[in-house]
Amino acid sequence: MTIQMFEKPLGMRDDFPFIAKKKTELRSKGTSIMEKAGYDLLQTPTLEYYETIGKISAIADNALFKLLDSQGETLVLRPDMTSPIARVAASKLLKEKMPVRLAYYSNVFRAQKREGGRPAEFEQMGVELIGDDSLYADAEVIILASSILKELQVESVRVVIGHTQLLQLILKDFGLSEEQIDLVREALVSKNSVGFEHLALTLPIKEESLESFNRLITTSELEEWKQWIDPLNTEQNSLYEEMLKLHTIMERNGLTDSVTFDLSFISHMTYYTGLVFEFYGAGSGFPLGNGGRYDGLMKQFDLQVGATGFGLRVDRLLEAMAPNREKESQTLVLFTEETEQEAHGLAQKLRLEGQRTTLQYAPAVQALDEFTALFSDVRRLDGGKNG
Amino acid sequence: MDELTIAMPKGRIFEEAYELLVKAGYDLPKELDDSRKLIVEAPNERFRFILAKPMDVPVYVEHGVADVGIAGKDVMLEHDRSVHELLDLGISSCYIATAGLPNTTMNEVTPRIATKYPEVASRFYRSKGEQVEIIELNGSIELAPMIGLADRIVDIVSTGKTLKENGLVEYEKIVDITSRLIANPVSYRLKQQRISEMVEMLRKQALK
Repeated sequence: MTIQMFEKPLGMRDDFPFIAKKKTELRSKGTSIMEKAGYDLLQTPTLEYYETIGKISAIADNALFKLLDSQGETLVLRPDMTSPIARVAASKLLKEKMPVRLAYYSNVFRAQKREGGRPAEFEQMGVELIGDDSLYADAEVIILASSILKELQVESVRVVIGHTQLLQLILKDFGLSEEQIDLVREALVSKNSVGFEHLALTLPIKEESLESFNRLITTSELEEWKQWIDPLNTEQNSLYEEMLKLHTIMERNGLTDSVTFDLSFISHMTYYTGLVFEFYGAGSGFPLGNGGRYDGLMKQFDLQVGATGFGLRVDRLLEAMAPNREKESQTLVLFTEETEQEAHGLAQKLRLEGQRTTLQYAPAVQALDEFTALFSDVRRLDGGKNG
Repeated sequence: MDELTIAMPKGRIFEEAYELLVKAGYDLPKELDDSRKLIVEAPNERFRFILAKPMDVPVYVEHGVADVGIAGKDVMLEHDRSVHELLDLGISSCYIATAGLPNTTMNEVTPRIATKYPEVASRFYRSKGEQVEIIELNGSIELAPMIGLADRIVDIVSTGKTLKENGLVEYEKIVDITSRLIANPVSYRLKQQRISEMVEMLRKQALK
């Protein structure tokens, strides 16, 4: 009995050679940019404890792949990279070197319950800058992510920036309770304008400020944020001042045209506590990556430091990155029993010259024309004509 | 001007939705529906319409092959898709309700519910603390109680005519439904100007 060839668990994919090749290119470009910016690559285990990483990761419980170890402890396949890295950073080894700059390129796992079209295992690359709570750290990671997208020649890149904490303060000013703010956040995460407006009518918002409240969901310029900042509230003002500084830094780096400042933008990842951002580009119907400040997550590891970072989705970058136009050259040397030694010599010489060379015993090939068509150069030592 | 791909629901909702776009001021060809084409261009506005099954509109939009779409709230409630719900268009108004044969109570041990909306139905009965068995059907749901497949059905009611003709009565109203303008999250950012413009034009029209 032959095994059914295409049986794969939902969301699992094979990387065929041409995808694998593209990935290698993407990986080397991305990691080299991150390393040049002073980030050290690290690798964390694929399996983690459910009690720690599983619960902290902000990934829905039913999206976790769980299994038991021999002691009966529940393990998870790592669903994200930020929480394992936070765990590493909290260890003694790195604690004294703050701020630390760590980078990763790893696969993560999130179970899919619906139809295909979404991978359950995918690679992410990104950085975490831990131990710096300044605005400059946030600016650094946004610029770094942008430069990776630029290097990959992603078109129409857009980064949307919001601020979780500032939004929280402004919502409080509308007279909303914590529970009500949570409801508002829920509508904002999915950008459900209809639900948001319906919700507004049920909230204890003064009639004269209702219109101003409804405008929250449509901001795209930083100047617009000003209308909700209470001039007497020093906390709000200092956060807004920081955003203005960030705006200037973006401007200096030539990013102004690709930045949207959307006050109502918040992430579904609940551990973000300050600035949050998300990247988009032509070619993929899903966001390319996201990130933000997650000081709260560090507290869970008993570390009172600021941290910020981004993660880019490799599977989506593959759709959005510019195709590699140059056709790779690859030589085929065909041999028979008689020319075997000569062929080996030739192949070795070509490989030394840096030429990618395949050696093939000619009689073993069934469809010779189709096979040779795969190569840019064919050397026939099997008596056939050089084509 | 960016080209905008719009996923439209075929059938009942289509005409209302198309009319709304025309009334909102878009310069669109007069006749679209009578052709059997699945993709139709409206070059004057740089629109490309794709005509999909109503249930499938959010799928096209979620994957970004359509930038925006017009979808019934019923579909959105049934499948939780990551799309932005931008505007209540106020068209194709109806509601989801439970119905069954008159003067009947549900089987106490294993009440059976036939529906095209298993998610909506199970959420509704769960919220009432009732344990039911859901049977998914694809159409002519009214048949189920008539021939004894189910105690109740959960289905769309617009005029109540179909229920009446089949001797069924409505029991509980679950939720009001209208059509919504939805957008792909990436398109929403990359084609922000065109999409917000559309929201404003349609909002004015929907308010009338």
